[in-house]
Amino acid sequence: MERKFEPGDAVRVLERNQPGHVRTPLYVRGKVGVIERVVGSFPNPETLAYGQSGLPYKMLYRVNFAQQTLWSDYDGRPEDTLEIEIYEHWLEPA
Amino acid sequence: MRGPQDLGGLPAGPVDPVVHEHDPTHWEKRIDAMMMLLFDPKRRLARVDESRRMQEALGEDYHKYPYYERWLQAISWLMLEKGVFSQEELDEKQREVRARLEAERSGT
Amino acid sequence: MSDHHHDLVHATHTHDGKPIQNDDRPPIEAETLETAVRELLMEKGVISADEVRQAIEMMDSRGTDLGAKIVARAWVDDDFKQRLLSEGDAAVREFGVDMRPTELCVVENTAEVHNMVVCTLCSCYPRAILGIPPAWYKRRDYRARAVREPRSILAEFGTAIPEQKQVRVHDSNADLRYLVLPQRPAGTDDWSEEQLAALVSRDSMIGVADIRSPGE
Repeated sequence: MERKFEPGDAVRVLERNQPGHVRTPLYVRGKVGVIERVVGSFPNPETLAYGQSGLPYKMLYRVNFAQQTLWSDYDGRPEDTLEIEIYEHWLEPA
Repeated sequence: MRGPQDLGGLPAGPVDPVVHEHDPTHWEKRIDAMMMLLFDPKRRLARVDESRRMQEALGEDYHKYPYYERWLQAISWLMLEKGVFSQEELDEKQREVRARLEAERSGT
Repeated sequence: MSDHHHDLVHATHTHDGKPIQNDDRPPIEAETLETAVRELLMEKGVISADEVRQAIEMMDSRGTDLGAKIVARAWVDDDFKQRLLSEGDAAVREFGVDMRPTELCVVENTAEVHNMVVCTLCSCYPRAILGIPPAWYKRRDYRARAVREPRSILAEFGTAIPEQKQVRVHDSNADLRYLVLPQRPAGTDDWSEEQLAALVSRDSMIGVADIRSPGE
């Protein structure tokens, strides 16, 4: 399956509202991170949730965020990270 | 537009790894078992994402329900949605079960 | 109520005499709904009492032992460890574990890095390896705070993280399930794989605890 991003690419999670079941939590929306790895293609949970097939599959990535970009009041180390899986249709180049 | 399940970063209380620990009760295991059976390749009657959608549909009640009661509600709504049983059948069965459990609990 | 097939799962003892009902009953409304749904599913032929019983037995047999064995193997066998880190699914298949439809992602704790796992949106957990998640893992407090203040959470677990250590939090929100490979404690160089496995705690594999050196 073709993919848009490679490890090391800077990406922004789309800041969009979408009704129904989604797996992109609010706290990463609009935030910039880096592709940590390509996980592979998976059925789309947003349609699986309604009893559909999940087709077409969506490419899934692990995205690495510096904690300080997520929380302005983060009080740990600057190197601390938060890593999370994001489907390709929720990402744009940053 | 925050769903009730989307908790990351919200204010919350301390975690007490001693007090907030309990082995699942037999009742909780029965719910867990039902869900696993409905998900399994033999049945494929539901997907985990469908169960999550139903739990999210609880809205503000999501926070009032203990974990396995959310699962139970999701199972029940999914089976209704898929027509495995009807609301009338469920209501009737609940009346019957309730009477039986009340008698059992009062030791009669 | 002896004429009802749910007797099988309401029984207080299994055939080998072990108690299977281990706790208080829920509120009657909740028990009513559960019993009603289960009996309807049985009457419709969707599930059988025997399948429910077997599923519970399977649940009871799947604790954290498997995870501990996998960790101990990784500590003594570097080839296995590399396989575990690069292709977790294939590596744990050697232990008879089938992760499908999810995939396993193993993250390694080192002198420089501490890893910790949470699922903020529900309570995704590597059940095939660690069984049912602990109650705190499913609670709002852990799910809400683990991504924002991991060091405070670790302190609440009594886990001291040196200030210069990097903390990596993994939000298990989609198709991967996470296992933390804890650091092998000092003073265990001549220990056997079995002895090592006995040291590995559930919490160390979720990343909220370290493993203490024996005698510490």
